[in-house]
Amino acid sequence: MSTKSITMALAGNPNAGKTTLFNNLTGARQHVGNYPGITVDHKEGHFKHDGHRVSITDLPGTYSLTAYSVEEIVTRDFLTSQKPDVVINIVDASNIERNLYLTTQFLEMGVPMIIALNMMDVAKDRGLEIRTEKLSELLGIPVVPIIARSGKGTDELITQAIGVATSSRVWEPRDISYGEDLDETLMDITATIEEVSFLSSDYPSRYAAIKYLEHDDEMLRKGQAANPELASKLEQSVTEISDHLQKTMEVYPEAIIADHRYGFIKGILRQGVLTHKFDTDRLYTSDKIDKVLTNRLLGPVIMLLILFGLYQFTFTWSELPVAWMASLFGWLGGVVETNLADGMFKSMIISGVIDGVGGVLGFVPLIMFMFFGIAVLEDSGYLARVAFMMDRVFHLFGLHGSSVMPFIVSGGIAGGCAVPGVMATRTLRSPKERMATLLTVPFMNCGAKVPVLVLLIGAFFADHKALYMFLFTMLAWFVALVAAKFLRMTVLRGEATPFVMELPPYRFPTLRGLFIHTWERTWQYIKKAGTVILGISILLWALMTFPGLPQSELDQFEERRVQLQTTLTEKPGQLQAALLVVEQEESGATLKNSIAGKVGSFFEPVSSYAGFDWRTNIAMLGGFAAKEVIISTLGTVYSMGEVDAENSGSLGDRLVNDPSWNAVVAVSALVFIMFYAPCFVTVVCIAKESSWKWAFFSMTFNTFFAFLASVAVFQIGGLF
Amino acid sequence: MTFRDLNKKCSCLAKRIQQCKKKGNCIRHHGPLSENCQTGKLRICKITGDRKECAKMAALGVLPGQEAELLCPQNGSQCLLKIHGGTLSLDQQTSNNIIVESV
Repeated sequence: MSTKSITMALAGNPNAGKTTLFNNLTGARQHVGNYPGITVDHKEGHFKHDGHRVSITDLPGTYSLTAYSVEEIVTRDFLTSQKPDVVINIVDASNIERNLYLTTQFLEMGVPMIIALNMMDVAKDRGLEIRTEKLSELLGIPVVPIIARSGKGTDELITQAIGVATSSRVWEPRDISYGEDLDETLMDITATIEEVSFLSSDYPSRYAAIKYLEHDDEMLRKGQAANPELASKLEQSVTEISDHLQKTMEVYPEAIIADHRYGFIKGILRQGVLTHKFDTDRLYTSDKIDKVLTNRLLGPVIMLLILFGLYQFTFTWSELPVAWMASLFGWLGGVVETNLADGMFKSMIISGVIDGVGGVLGFVPLIMFMFFGIAVLEDSGYLARVAFMMDRVFHLFGLHGSSVMPFIVSGGIAGGCAVPGVMATRTLRSPKERMATLLTVPFMNCGAKVPVLVLLIGAFFADHKALYMFLFTMLAWFVALVAAKFLRMTVLRGEATPFVMELPPYRFPTLRGLFIHTWERTWQYIKKAGTVILGISILLWALMTFPGLPQSELDQFEERRVQLQTTLTEKPGQLQAALLVVEQEESGATLKNSIAGKVGSFFEPVSSYAGFDWRTNIAMLGGFAAKEVIISTLGTVYSMGEVDAENSGSLGDRLVNDPSWNAVVAVSALVFIMFYAPCFVTVVCIAKESSWKWAFFSMTFNTFFAFLASVAVFQIGGLF
Repeated sequence: MTFRDLNKKCSCLAKRIQQCKKKGNCIRHHGPLSENCQTGKLRICKITGDRKECAKMAALGVLPGQEAELLCPQNGSQCLLKIHGGTLSLDQQTSNNIIVESV
C-alpha cells in the first residue's frame, strides 16, 4: 500500500461547493455560505483515503484564470507555483455552461484534472439531464457526479482523483480554436515564446500567448521582469491586433476568446451531453422569488421586515434561557461565597471569573438564536440578495457592491466579526474603495458588541428590546456609510468601479448545515470567553485590586468597624447594615485606589462630558483588547463593591440601580462602544491588509468620532 | 407639461418615464440595458466601457450576439440578468455599458 502524499487542489466557480466538499473530506469547519466570495485565500487540509495521505487545498472561486481579481491571481499562482498532482474542478451541474468556462482554461493550462459534477440533485430538479460518460469522453478527463452537501459520490471522486494523480499520463495543454485571425497571431506569438523559452517554467507557451492577447496585467508584469525586450515586442504585437479588432469589430481580443470558449462548451453540450426535460425558456422558482424579493419597492421593505423579525425571534426565544444562565452564575457565585474563605482567591473567583466571564457566557443562548437566524438567511441565499439591493445605496456613499458582503460578515445583521470582514475586502479591486470598506466595517455590530447592546438595551429599554436592537443596527449602517462617504470625499477620493455578481439560487437550508453554522460561531464565542476573555478578566481584576488601600486608610475603616460594634452591640440588625455600608465603602475606595481605578479616574474629567464615570472608563479601556471585555469588566467593576454575590442581582439590575447610569448614559455608552477603536485583533488585521498607518488611523479616527457622538448624545439627551 | 416638453428639458429622464408609461414602446427597445424597463428576452448588441470590465463581462458570457433574459429591471439602477443558466446582478455603471435590443 502506498504511503506517498498526494497534493490536490479544489478549484471552480464561486459558490460551486468547493468549501462544502473540502469540509466533507477533511472534517474541517471552514465557513460555507450560499453566496459568492466566501473563500478569499487558499486553505489547506489533510485526510487519508485507501492508504494514501492526501493534502488538499481549497482555492477561492473564480470565473476565469485571467488576472481580473485577487481570487483569480491566487488560484492561478497556486496552480503554477505549487503544481498539485491533481486539480479537482468542481462544476455546478445546475449551471454547467458557465462553470465549464473555467474548465476550458484548465484544459488550456494542461493541468492534471478531474471534474466533480456537483449539485446533481439541483440539476435534476431543474430538468437537466447530464450524461457524464459522454462529457468525460469529449473532454478527455474523468467526470464524477457528486452531491457535496450529502457526501454522495465523494468516495468515488477521491478514488478517481488519486488514480489521476498516480497515473503516468502526460497532461498536454488542449488547444481551442479562436478563429482564423487570432489563431494565426497566437501561432506567431507561441513560436516567439518557444524560441527563447519565455516564461516556460510556469506556463505552456500557447497559454502564455493567450494571456498576452487577453492583456493579462500579471502576465505582462512577469514578462517585463523576465525579458523586457521580448515582452515589449510581444506587447506591441498584441496591441496591433487589438487595435485592428477594435476598428473592425469594436471588440477586444478577450471577447473573441471568451466567445470561442463558450462556443467550444456549447459544441460539447450539444453532442448529447445535456438534455432539458422542461422548456428551456421557463423561469426557475428562484427567479420567480427574485421578482418579488428584489423588487425595487417591495424588496427593501421585505428586507427590513426580515431583519426586524430576526431580532424579534432572537429576543423572544432567548429570554428564558438567558434568565436561566443569569441564575446559574448567580447561584455559582453564592456557592463560592459560602464555601471559600475570604481573601484574594475568593475575590478573584467571584469578581474576576464568575462575574467577568459569566457575564459574557450568560449571553450564549441569545447568541445561538441570533446565529441560527443568520444561518437561515445565509444558507438560503437571501444574503446575496441583500448585497444586490444594497449596492445602489452603497454607490451613493462611494462604496462598491462588493463592499456589502464585508459589511454583513462584520456584523451588518449584528453578530458577525470584523476580522473576516476586513479580510473579505480583498475581493475589491479598487484600492480606494477597498480601503474605505476596510476602515468602516468595524463600525458594524460584531458578535462581541451584541452582548453589550443586549445588556444595556435589556436594562434600560426592556419594553422594546427588538425595536432598539433594530434601530442600533440601522444606526451602525448609517454611521458606517456616512464615514465611508466622508473618507471617499477626502483622503480616499477616486472613481467608482462597476459591480457584477452572480446570484446563487435560493436553496432550502439543511438542518445539519444550520446547526453546524450556528454551533461553529457559538463555539468560537464560548472559546473566546473561556480563554482570551478569562485571561483579560483576571488581569483586569488584578489591576482593579492592586495595590490596595494604604495601611492608614485600612486602619480608618477598621476603626469605624470597631466603633460600630461598640455602639450598636444591642441592635444586631442595624449593626449588620452599618457594617455592610462600611465594607462597600472600603471596596469602592480599594477599587478607586487600584491601578485601573487611577487610570479610569485620570480620564474622568474628559469622559464625564459623555456621561462616563471612572468605572465605565475602566470597562471602555478593557474593550480595546476585545469588546466582550466591556461586559466582563463592568461585571467585575460593579461586583467589587458588592458584598453578597448571590443577591446582588444581574449586571443589568446593578447598572439600573446605580446613580451614575440612566437611559441617556446608556445610549451614550452604546454609541461609544459601537463606534470607538476596533478590538486589538481587528487592528492587527487592518495593519496586515493595509499598513500600520491606516490601522492607527482607524483607532484614532473611530475613537475621536465615537467620543464626539457620545458627548452629543449625553449633552443633548440631558436637556430633555 | 407634455412628455415632448419634458423630453426637451431632460431627455434621459423623460425617455425613461415615457418608456415605462407606454410599455408598448419598450417591446422593441434598443439602447443601454439600464434604460430597458420590461422584463423578458433581449439580445446583447455591444459592450462598451473599460477594457477590463468588458473582459470580465465576456468571461461571464455577456458577449455581443448573446441572448439573455432581464428579470428585474430597475430603470437606470441595477438589474438582474439571466444568462448562460446563471443570474447576474449588474450595477448601473455596468448596465449602462451593455447595449441591448429586445427580441
